[in-house]
Amino acid sequence: MASGSNLLETVSVTMRFGGLTALDDVTYTIKEREVRGIIGPNGAGKTTLFNVITGELQPTSGKIFLRGEEITHLTPHIICQKGLSRTFQLTFIFPEMTVYESIWVGVNSRAKRPWNPVTLAHHVADLSQKTQEICHLVGLKEKMNELASNLSYGDQKILEIGMAISTQPSVLLLDEPTQGVSPKETDNILEVVERLSKKMTIILIEHSMDVVLRLCHIITVLNEGRVIAEGSPDEISKNEEVQRIYLGEIS
Amino acid sequence: MKPLAKKGMDMEFEKVGEKRTTLNYFAITFLLLWVVMGILLPKGARSLVTHMMIFSILAMGYDVCFGLTNQCSLGHSVFFGGGAYGAIFSILHLKFGILPSIFFSVGAGLLLSLIVGLICVRLSEAYFVIITAIFFAVFHLLAMDMTWLTGGDDGLSIKLPSISLGPETISLYNPWVNYYFVLIFLAVSYLILNRIARSPMGRVFVSIRENEKRVQFLGYNVYRYKLIAFIVSGMFAALSGGLYALTLRYGSADFFSFHWSIMPVVWCLIGGLGTLAGSWIGVVIMSLFQYYVSAWWTYYLILFGIIILLILRISRKGILGYVISRRLT
Repeated sequence: MASGSNLLETVSVTMRFGGLTALDDVTYTIKEREVRGIIGPNGAGKTTLFNVITGELQPTSGKIFLRGEEITHLTPHIICQKGLSRTFQLTFIFPEMTVYESIWVGVNSRAKRPWNPVTLAHHVADLSQKTQEICHLVGLKEKMNELASNLSYGDQKILEIGMAISTQPSVLLLDEPTQGVSPKETDNILEVVERLSKKMTIILIEHSMDVVLRLCHIITVLNEGRVIAEGSPDEISKNEEVQRIYLGEIS
Repeated sequence: MKPLAKKGMDMEFEKVGEKRTTLNYFAITFLLLWVVMGILLPKGARSLVTHMMIFSILAMGYDVCFGLTNQCSLGHSVFFGGGAYGAIFSILHLKFGILPSIFFSVGAGLLLSLIVGLICVRLSEAYFVIITAIFFAVFHLLAMDMTWLTGGDDGLSIKLPSISLGPETISLYNPWVNYYFVLIFLAVSYLILNRIARSPMGRVFVSIRENEKRVQFLGYNVYRYKLIAFIVSGMFAALSGGLYALTLRYGSADFFSFHWSIMPVVWCLIGGLGTLAGSWIGVVIMSLFQYYVSAWWTYYLILFGIIILLILRISRKGILGYVISRRLT
């Protein structure tokens, strides 16, 4: 059974696609206000783990709990309403909407009547201010009226983070936020993530070891769908098995 | 790496508020134009414009479905025909007045679109198109076959009751009354749909068009919103069908034909998807074309196809979308 103190918990989650086992008996717990990293080589099952947690995929077996409440077979929008929000590995935005509008839609999802068909959208109290706060928080205040598709790739990644936190999640799942981004923009993104890490629980999937070492309290290493190591950045960087699997036979 | 595709059509929504205002001005101008035209036009042209206004309601309603939430339905003839027969049956069998019969036809549209919508909105794009098209086929065949009910190809004629406005009574047999009666419905439809489009619900609709899955992961029940859009769309299609039947004082299985499924798509594409009033331009162009060009050339549709391709080649946002993007950049 899930214990109350854990914010998010997966209990022996297994995910098979035909003959391929993408996740093998993964038990993973995260407590309030932790910043956790998940690393692993390509195909280790990192994104699959996110997909299972957020309800996009139904696990073959195993259970998932959020604050002790089972969320295993709920649909993605219900899971999101319960306080889990994610970003996607490839940019996943509203190309022809402005930054402001995109974040507004997320903020609206937490409004009293998000389906309100009568009031003009810009007259709905509170939403505009909250939207601006989030734009400010992620540092997109100056670009609020830019079209999402006109943003640089790095800013699109930041917009995605902004959209994810606009639903006021208690756990934020970030799927490779710095992938394919220039070094300068990577710094921007990490700054945003660092700022957010003071306010909410974050799970971060990353390819780059440096990023996780810099941001995360505890790092979990996945390989071939199994958790092979878990520990502080220090422990992980010294772990020989991790070095062998993840970094290749360097040492 | 950087997905900066679709560069040409990016700028349209730069200033959303301004864009919506421009659209409003356009719609108001258009409506005022129709008000004046009602007085100026000769009889034949007036009846043509009456039809255009009726089709505009269908086009605008369809835009909620296709333009706002990106559901390319080919089943709207079901709602159009359903609305037409709703009005006809309620007058013929239930002895309803004109206004109650219109309510009845909108109700028929609601019921039909609820049924079709519940089955279809969960389907992904291509399947959605095909299954809605199958609904068109089924209903068309049923309407043709059940002659005892629908009158089949010969159709049913109705006698219109008069409308009492306090001491006065007016009759839709008077073409003037008919013209302004329809115009009022067009204006009210625009007000309602424009309001919905600018409301929180409307914004959710547009975000669903942009990226359905992302909206789901923002905590929205996407299917419910798509169903609502589909039903709203179906109700206005039915309103249009009802008005058309009242104007022609007649309805037949032809009201269920593919024409009424495919024309809304064409109107919206020409005018500009997601602009609501833009589809009116499509209606006007298409109707004029049908009326004048078809007289001297039987295969006028070929020419029309070419024109549609040209318009969409210049601007994928249709005519009004193009004008707005020009204005705002």
